[in-house]
Amino acid sequence: MKPPPFEYHAPTSLDEALEILDSLGSDAVPLAGGQSLVPLMNLRLARPANVVDINRIAGLDQIGVEEGRLTVGPLVRHSQIEASPEARDELPILSTVVPFIGYPAIRHRGTVVGSLAHADPAAEWPCVAVALDAEITLRSHGAERVVGADGFFTTMLTTVKEPGELLTGVSFRTDFDAFGFYEFARRHGDFAIIAAMVALEIEGDSVKGARVSVAGASDRPLRVAEAEAAIVGRALTPETADLAGDAAAEAVEPFEDIHGSSSYRKKLVGVAVGRALRQAGDRTEDRS
Amino acid sequence: MTAEGQAPKFFGARVKRVEDPRLLIGKGTFVDDIERVDMLYASFVRSVEARAKINGIDITEAEKMPGVVRVFTGRDFSGKEVRCVSSYDGFQVSGYPALAETEARFNGEALAMVVANDPYLAEDAAEGVVVDYEPLTPVVNAEKALLEDSPLVHEGWHSNAFVERRYQSPGFGEAKEAAKHSVSGRFVMARHSGIPLETRAAIGDYDKGSQRLTLWTTTQIPYLIRTGLADAIGLPENRIRIISPDVGGGFGVKAQLYPEELACSLASIELGRPVKWVEDRREHFLASHHAREHVHEATVYFDDDGIVDALEAKIVVNMGPYSVFPWTATMDTGMAMGILPGPYKIKHYSVLGYPVATNKAPYGAYRGVSRPAACFTIERLMDQVARHRGLDPAEVRRRNYVTGDDYPYKSAGGLEYDSGSMVESQDLLLEKLDYRGLREWQESERANGRLIGIGFGAYTEQTAHATKEFVQRGVPIVFGYETSTLRLDPQGTLVINSSIHNHGQGLETTLGQMAADALGIDLADIRVEYGDTSQAAYGSGTFASRSAVMAGGAARRASEQLREQLANVAAHNLEAAPSDIEFESGRVFVAGSPDKGFDFAQLCRMVYHRPELVPEGQQPILEATVAYDAPPGTGTFTNATQIAVIEVDPGTGGIEILRYAIVEDCGPMINPMIVEGQIFGGIAQGIGSAIYEEFVYDEDGHLMTTTFMDYLLPGTTEVPSIEVFHLETPSPFTVGGIKGMGEGGAIAPGAVIAGAVEDALAPVGSVMVDTIPLTPQRVLGYLESARETAARQ
Amino acid sequence: MTEITLQVNGEEVTRSVTPRRLLVDFLRHDLGLTGTHIGCEHGVCGACTVLLDGETVRSCIMFAVQADGHRVETVESLSDDPGKLHPIQKAFWENHGLQCGFCTPGMLLATKELLGANPSPDESEIRTALAGNICRCTGYVHIVQSVKAAAESMAAEGGAR
Repeated sequence: MKPPPFEYHAPTSLDEALEILDSLGSDAVPLAGGQSLVPLMNLRLARPANVVDINRIAGLDQIGVEEGRLTVGPLVRHSQIEASPEARDELPILSTVVPFIGYPAIRHRGTVVGSLAHADPAAEWPCVAVALDAEITLRSHGAERVVGADGFFTTMLTTVKEPGELLTGVSFRTDFDAFGFYEFARRHGDFAIIAAMVALEIEGDSVKGARVSVAGASDRPLRVAEAEAAIVGRALTPETADLAGDAAAEAVEPFEDIHGSSSYRKKLVGVAVGRALRQAGDRTEDRS
Repeated sequence: MTAEGQAPKFFGARVKRVEDPRLLIGKGTFVDDIERVDMLYASFVRSVEARAKINGIDITEAEKMPGVVRVFTGRDFSGKEVRCVSSYDGFQVSGYPALAETEARFNGEALAMVVANDPYLAEDAAEGVVVDYEPLTPVVNAEKALLEDSPLVHEGWHSNAFVERRYQSPGFGEAKEAAKHSVSGRFVMARHSGIPLETRAAIGDYDKGSQRLTLWTTTQIPYLIRTGLADAIGLPENRIRIISPDVGGGFGVKAQLYPEELACSLASIELGRPVKWVEDRREHFLASHHAREHVHEATVYFDDDGIVDALEAKIVVNMGPYSVFPWTATMDTGMAMGILPGPYKIKHYSVLGYPVATNKAPYGAYRGVSRPAACFTIERLMDQVARHRGLDPAEVRRRNYVTGDDYPYKSAGGLEYDSGSMVESQDLLLEKLDYRGLREWQESERANGRLIGIGFGAYTEQTAHATKEFVQRGVPIVFGYETSTLRLDPQGTLVINSSIHNHGQGLETTLGQMAADALGIDLADIRVEYGDTSQAAYGSGTFASRSAVMAGGAARRASEQLREQLANVAAHNLEAAPSDIEFESGRVFVAGSPDKGFDFAQLCRMVYHRPELVPEGQQPILEATVAYDAPPGTGTFTNATQIAVIEVDPGTGGIEILRYAIVEDCGPMINPMIVEGQIFGGIAQGIGSAIYEEFVYDEDGHLMTTTFMDYLLPGTTEVPSIEVFHLETPSPFTVGGIKGMGEGGAIAPGAVIAGAVEDALAPVGSVMVDTIPLTPQRVLGYLESARETAARQ
Repeated sequence: MTEITLQVNGEEVTRSVTPRRLLVDFLRHDLGLTGTHIGCEHGVCGACTVLLDGETVRSCIMFAVQADGHRVETVESLSDDPGKLHPIQKAFWENHGLQCGFCTPGMLLATKELLGANPSPDESEIRTALAGNICRCTGYVHIVQSVKAAAESMAAEGGAR
């Protein structure tokens, strides 16, 4: 399990990186944390001819707050989110999410943006991105575009990113009133069998707006409109949470793998969404 | 002058392990740490098919790739294979080739070997080898493999069973007829294995000048590997030296002769340079031997009081295509047939056993060998008897246990249980856990809607079985003894060379503890060496919970011989009788006159450097070798009771272990700290068997679990803090009364957790938990069945 | 080949490596620091754990070129003298926190990181911090005890190590 050979590029500026990526097109892959890429290379399931290491570019590891959004640079590690005062203040739910990602040694290296680029449908960040209405910035040599999380993930391990493009940041909406995250994995630190994230706007006693996303139920992180519809306009109670969970389970047609059949995952979707919503409800109560 | 006359100083003490410092500072020496001058690196090309005819292997591109020295295929090593033939009548023979030549028989079988001057380049070139496969219908399921219309794994065989074994006790038929009640089940344990953290590795190093082959290899059984390798490759045994240095866990997986060991040796002989191979984790999943895949159909017959009178079973084990060396393909079936009645006084027994050839990976040893499956079956049945009779599971067990007066007890399975404390162990555990209080708490939590379950597992564990047992098993090699050679030098420091291996069991410490007291010397003055066939005469190695008993017994006996030699010399020079000489704290002196004597070192130096002071007829060296065949030869039996308290999450099917406790009785403990470490480790592996670990094959025999993302090992957050308590019932037969215990922890957790899950689901409805591992999906399936049962009633 | 310069266990080393050389192979085979072990080569088992700029990383899923200019500490940095063990090594010895010793280097370094951030962790914090380090021998009970003991002895020494 040794990686295949490749050309190594270590640009020191973003422009240089984008030039290299532009010139190499689909023959190149960016390397940030490498916690998904390098295992795949060791297994020889990924064999890029060129690896463009962006770790030598200064300034890509910033976390900021802009216009109701938490902005995260392309070299921000998972563990940085755990330690960040901005993240804690703006999106305290992230301190619930991040401990589910691998282990300390993985979180020191792996990046938020890298996880989005890798687009594992069972991973936490893609699920979070969908729930938090994330906007992902893609830059290429001479161009930049911003894509919403709803349209970013296309299928298993695939996004709208074009050859030559680099994900240069993500921003998460922060102006929700309540959050919930629930994950079930076989063991601590494993990829989720199913995870669910909810972000709610609450007015008075009832839910005004909801974003519900699920990991592990499809070829991409899934936004579950049926669950959202089941909760919007109602008071957030354990009963309505479970009803929304049922609606979510009803709506999905999960894939199956050795960790769970489609019907098992379907049940879990209901449980996870229900529990994430109950958690959001508990937290709302705590605050009032 | 017996050693027993004095209070032992080291035997029984919680001394720190001698082997730890080097491992703690990163200076252990594992095979992959070893570099040789001019060394080459091997990478294997492995079959992507479970079963295929090999029409050809094209190596022309691979040979041209950078760094490649040579590419070998089956044709180069034609006829070189591992064979292990049972002496049972009708045993069908298979050869396990160094490199498969004409047919691949499992996904992962080695077909070609690239040798290059760098491991990265070797792996590159392995990808350049092109194999022309003609897929054949694979045999995957062992029960289907026994059907008449099944394809045959081996041409010329009359069925896929390596052999068919049956045993029926006299009077079984009548007992079955007479029985008032019976319960049956079909119990399934999934294929999994030991998965040591260090993968296998080997360096073949043939010296053309001396015509000697040195093989460094990650093995638990260096001497057997030497013989097996010599036979397989046709080299005289006196030209082979096996060195097994520090080994990063074995658990049985490293107790077989593997084709890669043949291939590295043959390649080195051919090329005249050292050839190193380090297995990667994917290869380990594919080609290191698997274990545990049992299906048991079993019925117990019992009376109104829940007393079990008879047991009937059919045991099918999915062995993969080859009979492995040195165990043969009959090991698991044979052992399961013997131990299935467990610690219970079941009088009548009928059993059928089928080790079945299939196109899955070959099957070898794993900690507990078949006893986890046997324990799973009998314990699950005991729980069904309890339920059937409305009795507490602890009470049903108590009524059926072999008890104090029964020992030595000849079991229905033909084993001789030498001693034990089943009832006492269970009582102690119930008391320690406040079992009644625990049940009350469970009831109150059930009222709160929690699915809390309590599960039991009891077993008697055959350990240190020796000559008599293996003769009965029909294996070609009778693993009857272990050897320890003790040598004192002129400074009075001791080297113990032993035929066992040590890869975590603490034997570098405990063998010293066994020897120190007789000589009155300190542990710091003893070195234990092993793992090099140039060191000891012969022995089998470390497996089957035998090393402390057998090599330790040998070390104790040899230390007594050295004591006698020294006492003679001391007596001769002190004008005393040898029987009056005492050994204590580095002094050898006449009893009652501590001043009249020698320092231990002074006396040793006298023997070597002043031979004229050695009594006539005695050799002027201090050496003793003992090969110890632990009596009675059928094993000494350790026993234990394990209990777990668990909670099932009805939403996810997840299991949380709230509490796990064990009472273990392995006789007098040489080092209780090490005993406890072995128990914890065994239980953790058993929890893996119970909940997490499974090699999943698809219908075509492709292995789906080839990374640690798919095959799940329990971590710190999955294994609870385990409570352990001891009883110490000595063996009436062994040196010091000690018993083996290395495997025990791993035997019961499957039964314990399954019983606990069944108990947790009981308020929902009645269901029999009969398959492990209990993945969350399976648990939800059982919950669903429990609901259906309840709805029907 | 790319030339890299990094600090390993306090000493600066310069070597030429191919870009694909894994950091763990560089440490083990180019520098001879064989205390760092390889257990899975896909980042799950933790046997190859080293400290990079003071934080635990998996050296099997990092290229050596990525360590250029950085600081690496391996198990050998704790103490390579059996007579002067680091308190963590000592605690593992005294509490039987190892059996075969293969996972041990990674366990020790994960423990060092934990105790650096949290000098008196409770059992659950210990278990969570070590969840990414698989041990196949010990069942973890003695490892958890070892970490607790190390925390206590380091606190007694002033935690300055």
